[in-house]
Amino acid sequence: MNQPASLPLVASLLDAPLPASGLGWLDAARRENRAAFAAGGLPDTRVEAWKYTALRGLAQRSFGSGDAAAQTRAVDASTLALPGVAGVRLVFVNGAFRADLSSLDELPAGLSLQPLSQALLGDAEPLRFALSRHYRDVGDAFAQINAASASDGVVLRVAAHTKIELPVQLVFVGAEAELAWHARNVIELGAGAELCLVEQHASSGQPTQLATLVSDIDVREGAQLHHVVLQDAGIGANLFRRNSLRLHARAQATLHVLELGGALVRHDLRAELIGDDAQLHTRGVFMPHGRQHIDTQLAIRHQALNTTSTSHWRGVANDRARGVFRGAIVVAPGADGSDANLSNKNLLLSPSAEIDTKPELEIYADEVQAAHGATVGQLDERSLFYLRSRGIPLAEARALLTAAFCRAVLDDLPNKALREHLSGLLIAQLPA
Amino acid sequence: MNEIMNKQSSSAATLRDNADVAEALGRTYSAGFITKIEMTGLPPGLDESTVRAISAIKHEPEWMTEWRLDAYRHWLTMPKPDWAKLNIDPIDYQAISYYAAPKVAPKSLDEVDPALLETYEKLGIPLHERAALAGVAVDAVFDSVSVGTTFRKQLAEAGVLFCSMSEAIREYPDIVRKYLGSVVPTGDNFFAALNSAVFSDGSFVFIPKGVRCPMELSTYFRINAQNTGQFERTLIVAEEGAHVSYLEGCTAPKRDENQLHAAVVELVALEKAQIKYSTVQNWYPGDENGVGGIYNFVTKRGDCRGDDSKISWTQVETGSAITWKYPSVVLRGDRSVGEFYSVALTHHFQQADTGTKMIHLGKYTKSKIVSKGISAGRSSNSYRGLVKMEKGAEGARNYTQCDSLLIGKKCGAHTFPYMEVKNPTAIVEHEATTSKISDDQMFYCRARGIPEEDAVSMIVDGFCKQVFRELPMEFAVEAKKLLEVSLEGAVG
Repeated sequence: MNQPASLPLVASLLDAPLPASGLGWLDAARRENRAAFAAGGLPDTRVEAWKYTALRGLAQRSFGSGDAAAQTRAVDASTLALPGVAGVRLVFVNGAFRADLSSLDELPAGLSLQPLSQALLGDAEPLRFALSRHYRDVGDAFAQINAASASDGVVLRVAAHTKIELPVQLVFVGAEAELAWHARNVIELGAGAELCLVEQHASSGQPTQLATLVSDIDVREGAQLHHVVLQDAGIGANLFRRNSLRLHARAQATLHVLELGGALVRHDLRAELIGDDAQLHTRGVFMPHGRQHIDTQLAIRHQALNTTSTSHWRGVANDRARGVFRGAIVVAPGADGSDANLSNKNLLLSPSAEIDTKPELEIYADEVQAAHGATVGQLDERSLFYLRSRGIPLAEARALLTAAFCRAVLDDLPNKALREHLSGLLIAQLPA
Repeated sequence: MNEIMNKQSSSAATLRDNADVAEALGRTYSAGFITKIEMTGLPPGLDESTVRAISAIKHEPEWMTEWRLDAYRHWLTMPKPDWAKLNIDPIDYQAISYYAAPKVAPKSLDEVDPALLETYEKLGIPLHERAALAGVAVDAVFDSVSVGTTFRKQLAEAGVLFCSMSEAIREYPDIVRKYLGSVVPTGDNFFAALNSAVFSDGSFVFIPKGVRCPMELSTYFRINAQNTGQFERTLIVAEEGAHVSYLEGCTAPKRDENQLHAAVVELVALEKAQIKYSTVQNWYPGDENGVGGIYNFVTKRGDCRGDDSKISWTQVETGSAITWKYPSVVLRGDRSVGEFYSVALTHHFQQADTGTKMIHLGKYTKSKIVSKGISAGRSSNSYRGLVKMEKGAEGARNYTQCDSLLIGKKCGAHTFPYMEVKNPTAIVEHEATTSKISDDQMFYCRARGIPEEDAVSMIVDGFCKQVFRELPMEFAVEAKKLLEVSLEGAVG
């Protein structure tokens, strides 16, 4: 194996100076993580979690880190608006907070929200737990470099027993320049709190970039989180997202994910159901086309009594694109009463496209209901026949059924205006 | 009524109680005995001279010796695989003796040492009777040399070649040379390479064009002799339109040291040929503390080389401390069919990582996978499978079903299916479930006066029915009994 640092990508990322925080513990964590990245480098396809996502091509590129001109990059504010989402908004351009594009003026009571760069200037102690983490696993390369280099992101807290009525929108924009940026989010919902979070990834222009985003989300006792992710980054974006979600007793989280854009996109969701009666529901669709590569990795751990998880994911791969899905469910010893269900259905639309899917179950308790299913195939011939027999041309019948196939994951999204907008985006992405 | 309900709930509570389940599972291993026959063998250790010695003992031709040495040299360069969900103490390959054989080489069954025959009797395979009654030809492998082969004549009349591998290398070198290693190359994986270097014996079956094998062929393997790894090599070739059903069954005597076992089985099906390969594996699983037991690392692969061919694997795995086994089918011919039916039962400290690979290359190829895992005690039972649809697999179809049943709180049941699809007309479907025997099912049976133990046995039997149906009749009976014995006293 090559020395990790001999790869242009690794060398270029290590080249960037570490952001100075003035906090001893944070500087130490950054150094540690950078050292780990320097030693381990990028995972190759022999690492199980990266079996279907080769980084060889990307490893040959190099990116300058951070954007000195982030504050002045032109971003069309109208592209940031989403139907059904009005109110608080935080915008990051190339990883840096942009006050001019954000609206933070009218924060509802109980919601504390600020960019990480500002939060670190104040009392940073509450962030210590999340930010002093050392990533050591083989395959953690992007989390390591993120932990070393991210200096901005979102710090969001909802006070206990507070319901935030309007959705909070977080926008990450990759703009113009060819560079690497990193962002770090720390999100906590207090006991009994409720929040709808809309996370949006977009590009201004079509820059070739490398971006990493690591989010820690804690959902405390009885709290409820609705998290909607619209990933519609530009065609040059290499985006690595990692979400660590912790659900305490009776907490509920619902996640809806649309993976539409990007060149090489990887989404790691690591959810831990650590409190009794916690519930997690994930829904998602990935639609790679052209030469896109979209990889979704779910790791759901049931660690407490009577926890529930349901996951319904759809994939549609066209052209020369590749869709990768792994859905691992672990039921830890003693997690009796766990109920876990996962399904991943995929459509392959082109002879050069590929789908690799791997649902996994690891069960260490016996009072358990666990099931998973995965399919790869085509549209149902009978449904096509039904539509055609009613006078709908073949192409249109296909389009209708494919749209219905993808839309199914949005069915239980409560925000109607947003749901309609997202289904419109899905349909627009389908081949005509 | 109250009393019954009380009894019901108390026994249900017992079922959930780890300690009791663990104790209840403490079945004895009925095949555990050691035959006292004088053995000759090579001293422990492995180097090129060991490989040459094995080849020389078996009077092998030069090409075979070279073939083994190539495999050995390749093996030296290979890392030991660590991806399986298995906890294995490091194996000292130099501490193993690679060849053991009964001292007096028998020429026919009549000359076989009575002590050996007695061993078979204890195992319930009276060679003559069983063969005659059941119409089964038995090629029994006692450690490393074929003891006797029955029904050879009848098979010869049909044109079927059925003999030990060492004999085949001498008698039919052309066929062996053509097919040996063509499905599992010598460097395929760590254990296959080791096997290729030191394999001692095994079965060879050749069914010529258009022949339907007149009887089911069977081999009983039996590991004997302390510290002797057994490395069998089986090759089955079915020419155009030929049919064969092959049965493999195993038991091994009780011992404290772990015995290494690395077998390779190669199946070749030419056009319109069909091969059915059934296994019941009941080797010593180790005692209730996880001491002893067989390490079983098997590479089994079938190659549907011709159009319209079919290969079907059926396995019932109840034995071995460690099972590492993935019977696979390469579906090369158009419209070829691959099947895998498996029941794997683990308890105490047994570990099984088993499953299959279906590699679809040809058009309109079909595969079906049915896997049933049962874990009890502190065991770990994993299904690991791959379904791959290559670009040319036009209209190919796969259906996979994996179910796991958990008995007790300290065991694990895992499922790792891989699906790789590169053809838009192919269809892959996978379903898996994991659960325990439900209280409702138990209550239903108990309410109808069925004792708890019988109820568990019934439910497990029902759980495995889909696989047992695929077994030849004699094996189905044996398999059912095996599960019953294994689960004896599992409840109550």
